[in-house]
Parts: sequence; structure tokens; C-alpha cells
Amino acid sequence: MYRYDEFDHQLVADRVSQFRGQVERRVSGALTEDQFKPLRLMNGVYLQLHAYMLRVAIPYGTLRSEQMRMLAHIARKYDRGYSHFTTRQNIQYNWPALDKIPDLLDELATVEMHAIQTSGNCIRNVTSDQYAGAIADEVEDPRIISEIIRQWSTFHPEFTYLPRKFKIAVTGHENDRAAIKLHDIGIVVKQNSAGEIGYEVHVGGGQGRTPFVAKKMTDFVPKEKLLAYLEAVMRVYNMLGRRDNSYKARIKILVHETGQEEMQRLVEAEFAKIDASDMLTVPQEEIDRISAYFAPPAFETLPAESETFTQAQAADADVARFVRANVVAHKQAGYAIVNISLKPIGGVPGDATDTQMDVIADLAENHSLDEVRVTHEQNLVLPHVKLDDVKAVYDALAAHELATANLGLISDQIACPGLDYCNLANARSIPLAQEISERFADLDRQYDIGELKIKISGCINACGHHHVGHIGILGVDKKGTEFYQISLGGAADENAAIGQITGRAFTEEDIVDAIETVVTTYTDLRADGERFIDTYNRLGMAPFKERLYD
Amino acid sequence: MAQHAAKGARFQAVTANRLSDGEVVYWSADNRWVEGFTEAEIADGADAADALLARAMPADFEAHVLEPYLFEVLEDGSFYKPASVRETIRAAGPTVRLDLGKQAGA
Amino acid sequence: MTELNLVIDGAAAKNIWHYLDDDAPLTDAPSIITLTRLKAEADSLASRTAPLGVILHADGLGKTDQGEDVRELAPYIDQLALVALHFPIYRNGRGYSAARVLRQEFNFAGELRATGDVLYDQWAMMNRCGINAFELADNVSLETFQTALGELSGAYQPAADATRGALWARSGK
Repeated sequence: MYRYDEFDHQLVADRVSQFRGQVERRVSGALTEDQFKPLRLMNGVYLQLHAYMLRVAIPYGTLRSEQMRMLAHIARKYDRGYSHFTTRQNIQYNWPALDKIPDLLDELATVEMHAIQTSGNCIRNVTSDQYAGAIADEVEDPRIISEIIRQWSTFHPEFTYLPRKFKIAVTGHENDRAAIKLHDIGIVVKQNSAGEIGYEVHVGGGQGRTPFVAKKMTDFVPKEKLLAYLEAVMRVYNMLGRRDNSYKARIKILVHETGQEEMQRLVEAEFAKIDASDMLTVPQEEIDRISAYFAPPAFETLPAESETFTQAQAADADVARFVRANVVAHKQAGYAIVNISLKPIGGVPGDATDTQMDVIADLAENHSLDEVRVTHEQNLVLPHVKLDDVKAVYDALAAHELATANLGLISDQIACPGLDYCNLANARSIPLAQEISERFADLDRQYDIGELKIKISGCINACGHHHVGHIGILGVDKKGTEFYQISLGGAADENAAIGQITGRAFTEEDIVDAIETVVTTYTDLRADGERFIDTYNRLGMAPFKERLYD
Repeated sequence: MAQHAAKGARFQAVTANRLSDGEVVYWSADNRWVEGFTEAEIADGADAADALLARAMPADFEAHVLEPYLFEVLEDGSFYKPASVRETIRAAGPTVRLDLGKQAGA
Repeated sequence: MTELNLVIDGAAAKNIWHYLDDDAPLTDAPSIITLTRLKAEADSLASRTAPLGVILHADGLGKTDQGEDVRELAPYIDQLALVALHFPIYRNGRGYSAARVLRQEFNFAGELRATGDVLYDQWAMMNRCGINAFELADNVSLETFQTALGELSGAYQPAADATRGALWARSGK
């Protein structure tokens, strides 16, 4: 994992001290709220319904155990004993006091963490594949270029007051777990025929009021030139992006209104100018320095099979189910990737208590080569667990309600905080996720239903990714009452697609029944081996609509 | 933002979030910000509501709170309650965490 | 006109320039005209020897939102001693890109001035993008300005200033 050098440390310290000054100027009256707001946002501080909310960056979703322990400590000391993992691999605290946030940030800085650019109209935290460095058949660990992008985009003087927020995601694997096509810029690590590493770049994806799948801008940018290419995209956007209407200000609208070919032409022209100056060509020594941090950790040489692991599954059906749903093959013989579901039946998706975070930190330290990952589906991952240790890890997780064996299943839902916390929401999301997970609580039924991604947003901003849920649910407000609209057929992976709305919205009382109707329509109509999304793609909307509304 | 004062609402109150910690506060009859909805001053009619909001926003209001606004309340027997789900949740706390927010002390 | 609180290259400076309305007569006094006028009167301006500046608006002046295109200045760049970048509101950051294009694509060496809604927390970023002159509010001291510029001790990336950026500096590039 990347470690800060003195420069990184100093810059974060400068930023905390700068923010402390900004908070003091706000409290003293030297700054109006209108002037302070963009400054607090660029430091991750929102105002929500009940309190401030602080979003802390977890670059490309990777944490060391001491960092997870610090996140737990902050939940205890500055918040109310819990926190929330988000769809951008970040963590949010729901109750910090404004005047204590500078102290909180000082503590975070001791473990090389911060809240820089986790909000505001700037380049946000770079996200990536939670299985980076652990999964087989990766072109290259995507965290290498993610870290280079993180540094380049931090306090970028030209791109701090963009028309709107800007999100970048990177995958190094053909199976996209980072939803890169739903980002302002999505990057796929590629290898060309000469064996060189470079990047395929997609631009203009996004959700919100007007969802778009990103358009491919280029097949291959050489590694050392990616920053020049990104700076070109950003400059075109900063100069031409709309600022008259915040709903039309994202780069997806610029790409849509400009057209893919013209956008490519504009970016290429800008890229040629920047590239000619050579000023953004990253030195090979620096690429090597950063790459070294992501070299494979010290794996032991182990047999591919583990007797302990096999026996644990044979002896305990719960372990077997956990392995079946949550454990994924590792590239290194004798190791496994262990997913920790933050979606217990009836729980709040993405929430973890301080105690749970401490337990996970200990497991990472003792059983996962010190690493934890955060997924955009609001779960956690222990990326490097020995097969021999899986049972012990399972037992520790189970003792703290962290062993729900539902990864990728119907109860593994994404949900935004919704109207229980959020200032923008029109409807609650969490209670609906809880009711759905209770309705489908029986794990055997969940296994029978198979892979099914439900994603719930409490408003059109789509933080709960409803557009790309196999089943998406959008909360809407009609005269102060909550209603829920269903969409079907969305996908956030390499086959990204925007879901289609089924029809009129359902009341709070009827929505869970409606979801069950959709699910039984699928189970009635599926062909052998078909997942929900396959059946939907084969049959289309009609049979689902018929059952829902007739 | 959703579900603020509805046009034609009869009863309204003024709410904001406190600058120091973001706590939900209401403007009270004795001209100060208070934490409990039950102490909020209720304006009857549009003119009274405008006057109430004006009193809650003296020149230095930003030194104490963020974004004061009017919201609709309804008569509930001899009491009042917020009209919208949003303001009901602000007045109580998250519906999924009854141990947190104002409802926790109740 | 009232005295501007002006900082150029980090020092207090006296303003010699006048912003000129499109219908005001152009004299030999150092004058900042609009892009519209610059284009309309290009022929007669070609022979002007007195200092000439132009103001570039980042918003659409009520028509479109695109703002004025900095690259429209290309044919006139050698005639210009000053470009004023107008920030209609601090949140509109189009001027940061305009500044970099002027400095790094056009190699513009004249005065690059920030005007409009130009606040404490933006000065350092503007400075890095090549803006060297700032019209400050009357109550802002030079000391305050210098404090703002020094809040961050370094940078990761190159821009239009001398800072190379840590991604390069670490390997001595």
C-alpha cells in the first residue's frame, strides 16, 4: 500500500490548518455561509437534516488496519459509535460538531487520511476495484495509476471550481467491479500488442437526473501520458461545461450535447497541446516508486487446497454457505478473498459500529496482510486471507453480526441514507431496504433467486445507484408522502446499462409486495441457469409490467 | 430541497440548523433558538409567518444558525405537529435509529 | 475613478488602467476594452501604440452560458499588455483555464488580472494558474494576501507557476 512521504504529510497538515482557519473565520463572522459553504464542502463537510456530516476519503477503497482502527476511534470520540460506508468507497460520519472537525482531521492525518475533495465541484476521491492485487487475471494493479491520479488531482489549481463534481474510477480487470462506465471518467487498464501498459478512457457516464453510460474516448493512452490526457479532458470540460443550470453541468451533458466524435476531437486537440509541452509526462522513476508500494505483499507458499478449509465447510453448514456466497478465489495459491457483508437482515446497508470496525481491523492485521477494502456496493473485503484461516475469520465475523452470507444476493442492497439523514432526499431508503431484506430473509430462497442487485435512492440524485440496479427503486415525494418507482434492467458492470421504469409508483405499503411480484415473475419465467438480469434482457419489460399492473 | 412551506399553509414555524454543531433548532416565542419543536412559535396565516421569519433573521443571524426557513405545521388536537415526513424526521431523529436524535431523550 | 486595492506580483501596486465602456471614446490612456470591441475595431486598433487591455467574461453576459472563449484572443495577443479575467462569482472557475491557456499556450507575458468575485480562498489557486494581478476588496491587507498564498506549502502537479509538483520533484525532474 502507498505510504505518505514527508511531502504528502505536510500537505495534509497544511490543509487541516487551513480548514481550521476557515472554520474560525466562519464562526467569527468573517466568512458568510455562502462563502464558507464551498470551502467546507471541499473538506467533506455537509449539512444534513440533523447535524453536519463529514465524508472521509478512502483512496481507491484501500485501508490498513491502523486506519480502520482510527475510523473506529473517530466514530466513538466524535460521532455516535457508528459510521456509514458509501458507494464511492468513502466513509461518512453523521453527527460531528463543526467546531470539533479540525481536531478530528488532525487525528485522521496521523494515519495518512483526510477529507480533502470528498465534496464540492472538484475532482473527487478516485475509486477502484476492491479485489485489486488479489484477483487473478488482472492486467495491472489499478491502484498504481489511481494513486498517481489521486496526487495529480489533489489541490489542482485549475480544477477546483469546476461546473460540477467530477468522479474518476479505474479498473484493472475485465470484470468491472468499480462501475467505471457510470463515472465522469472511467479508466480500464489495458496492455497493447507490444506488451505496454496503458489506458482505455471512457468519459461522460453518470447517474442523477439524466443518467448516461460513458462513451469511449480513446482505446489506449500510454501510462506516462495519462495525466496529460486527463488534464485535456478536464480543461475542455472546465471551459465548455454548462454553469447556468446545475442539473446540466456534469460532463455527461457536455458529451451528450457535443456528441462523442466532436468531444473526441476537442480532447485530442487539447491533449496534443499539453503533450507537446511534455510537462505532464510522469517520470518513470516516480511511476516505479509508486508501483513499488503496490507490489504483491509477502504471500506464503501454500498448497492450493486446504484440508482445514474443506473440513470446516463439511462440518458447519453456516460456514459452507458463507464460503459459497462471500468467499472468492485468490490469485495466490492457498489464499482467498473474504467479503464482509454490511447488509445484515434488517440492518442499515453500509453501517458499521466502532466495535465492528475494530474487529475488522484486528482481522486485517492478523489474517489479511494488514489490508481491508471498501466496495462500491457498501461492503468490506479482507483481500488476502489464508484458506487455513477462513474458519477463524468467519467465527470472529459471526460473533459480531458480520457474517451474513448474502454477497450479490437480493438482500445485499445498495441504499443511500435517504430522508432519515439527507437534506436532499424526498423519501426514506433505509426502511425500505430493511423491509425487503426481511421479506427475503431466508437464505435458501436467496440462493434460489441468485444474483440480484437491488439499489435504492431516496431522490433523483441517485446516490443509491437505482438507475443501474437490476431492480432499481427511486423514492419520490408526492405532497409530503413517500412513493417508490421501480426500474428494471440496469447494470453497473462491464455491460453497464440504465434501467427502464416499470410504470406508476407504489406506495410505501405496496412497494415490497411489488418487488416480490417482480422476483416471482423472474423465477416463474427463467430458463435454466439464467440470472435475473439475463431473463430480463431476454424477455424485456412486458411480462414484469403485466404482473405488476394488471 | 424538498417539502418546505406549502403554499396556502395556515400554520407555520421557523427552523434552522445551529452553526456550531448542526443541531435542528426552532425560533421560539421568546425570540431565541430552541432545540425542541414543542417550544417553536407557531404563526397563523401568511403575514404572521413572514413576520416570524423576519424576526428569526436579524442582521447577525448567520453567527448562530444556517439557512432558516418556514415550514408547515398542522393542528393535532391541542398541539401542533410538522406536516411533512421531512420535518417530522428533523423534529425527532432518524426513523431507523430511535436511539439517536431528539427522540432519544424523549 | 476610485483607487483600486491592487496587488501585482505580490506587491501593492498603483492601478494605471481604465475599464472602458464600448461606447466611450478610446484615448491614449491605458484602456481595458471588451472582446466585442477588440474584434470590431481590430483594424484601427492594429496601429495603436498606447497600452491596450481586454476583459474576458466567464459568463455569457445574459445570452449563453459558455462565456467568452479565451482562444478568440489569439490573433490579438501581441497587441495586449493586459488581460483581465472576470469572475462573475467565485464558483465560476472558467477563468482558471483561460489563465493557463494564456500563459502556457499563448506565452502571454503581460499582466493577467483577476477581477470580480475574487476571494481569499481562491487567490493561491489563481496565482498558480498564472494570474499575477488581483483587484482586492478595500479592507484586505497585503499581509492577508501573502498569508493566503502561503497556506499550502507545496503542490503535486505543475501549473503555470514555477512549482514543478511532487510527482516530478521527487525524482528531481
